[in-house]
Amino acid sequence: MASRVKEMGQLAQDLYDQSESFPAVNRNTKRILASIEVLRMNLEQVSD
Amino acid sequence: MNKAIRYWNPHLETLPRESLEKLQLTKFKRIFRWAYDKSRFHRALYQEAGLHPDDIRTMEDVRRVPKVEKSMMRTVQRKDPFPYGDALCVPLDEVTEFHQTSGTTGQPVYQPDTWQDWEWFSECWATLLWAQGYRPHDRVFLPFGYNVFVAFWTAHYACEKIGCEVVPGGVLDTQARILKIQEVRATAMMATPTYVLGMADAAQKKLSLNPASDLEVRRITCAGEPGALVPSTKRRMELAWGAKVFDHAGATEIGAWGFECEAQPGGLHVNEAMFLAEVEDLETGEPITEAGRPGKLVITALDRMAQPCVRFDAKDIVELSDEQCECGRSYRLLPRGVFGRADDITKVKGVLLAPSAIEDVVRSIPGFGNEYEVVVDKKGDIDHILLKVEILEQNTSAAKELEARLRTELRVKTNLGYDIEIHPYGSLPRYEVKARRFKDLRHKGDE
Repeated sequence: MASRVKEMGQLAQDLYDQSESFPAVNRNTKRILASIEVLRMNLEQVSD
Repeated sequence: MNKAIRYWNPHLETLPRESLEKLQLTKFKRIFRWAYDKSRFHRALYQEAGLHPDDIRTMEDVRRVPKVEKSMMRTVQRKDPFPYGDALCVPLDEVTEFHQTSGTTGQPVYQPDTWQDWEWFSECWATLLWAQGYRPHDRVFLPFGYNVFVAFWTAHYACEKIGCEVVPGGVLDTQARILKIQEVRATAMMATPTYVLGMADAAQKKLSLNPASDLEVRRITCAGEPGALVPSTKRRMELAWGAKVFDHAGATEIGAWGFECEAQPGGLHVNEAMFLAEVEDLETGEPITEAGRPGKLVITALDRMAQPCVRFDAKDIVELSDEQCECGRSYRLLPRGVFGRADDITKVKGVLLAPSAIEDVVRSIPGFGNEYEVVVDKKGDIDHILLKVEILEQNTSAAKELEARLRTELRVKTNLGYDIEIHPYGSLPRYEVKARRFKDLRHKGDE
């Protein structure tokens, strides 16, 4: 699941980067990125 | 979705202790570096202690990191950027939530959160609510004033996240709230223990309703006071409502860090995937790692970014346990939860009250003498504060006006209401060594 979350993050980041002149996409994508970050926390693995 | 799954996060909540501790250290290093890089306040604090992010390698290193106290945050927030000061780690544009502490111990501390912080805070709440048995079929009534205090705001969003139906009981009075609970057939509720008992009392005395049989609330989550882990109080609440009552612990500056699970083990689990809880000796500040020895909680929110909470001196008194909870979580238990405060601050009606705040008000009004006495007790199940003051002889004709001013200023300063008794000058006790002007009689029958 963690790798799919990473892909989602990249996709959302692409959308965000393209949407500077499109507030409805920009703001909603920013919010999705916040949720994706919490998804990442939920699946975080231990680093050695 | 399988609603029978016991854990909101089966991965984190059952991590073996060794893995959990490694995760905490990894996260601590990350939040420490973040605070060092982004916050002028934190960087100055750590530089003064001779610490650089590369120096944090072990838990022993973590314990060398200076603690942060609430009073330091008040100083920080007099600086730019307004209103948060230089502990802010993100551009102001990214702050989406404002809340503040109650201010009863002094100037309120403002708490900025970003969308990510708010999602994280809600996630912590979702973890605890799921552990207490909340599921999407629940209809949750929230009888709190939706305002600048964080209170149950993130519980609201956590309920939405779980899929519960949330009924906001904001500005309704107590009777209207009870009737709404009955009308919508709410199955769960969240409030302070004082209010849970007060609502039950109002239901019976003013509406002739028995919450246990006439209402359908079967799950109550408490916050703000320790009552839900005081056995007699928990019992009273559970009997009055015919519901399971659970405790939770959190704070504006920290987040929702502790929770009682459905097994009701008589204590709180620390959400150790999101928080690092350390316990220190009250006198020496030495770390306490063994079970059963009370100490002061020092806590780090491992993922809160806008205004980091790194080794925050929470002033809560807790003790560790080595017992494994029957729920199967690997998160450590704190028996009795938070069972005291490291200073003389106490909670009344869910609000932190510092006796010094009362003293400040009494002595700021010239018509009153220096002596006063505060008695906190229960009237029925509701906290009650009696304040006795002395009036100077030359001001006796203005007693009513002075009393009104005192009442107003106390309300503004402490967010609480008082019964006030005005006594002739010289009639209250005088003390020669240590004064005992603050008497808390609420727990005299608990021992």
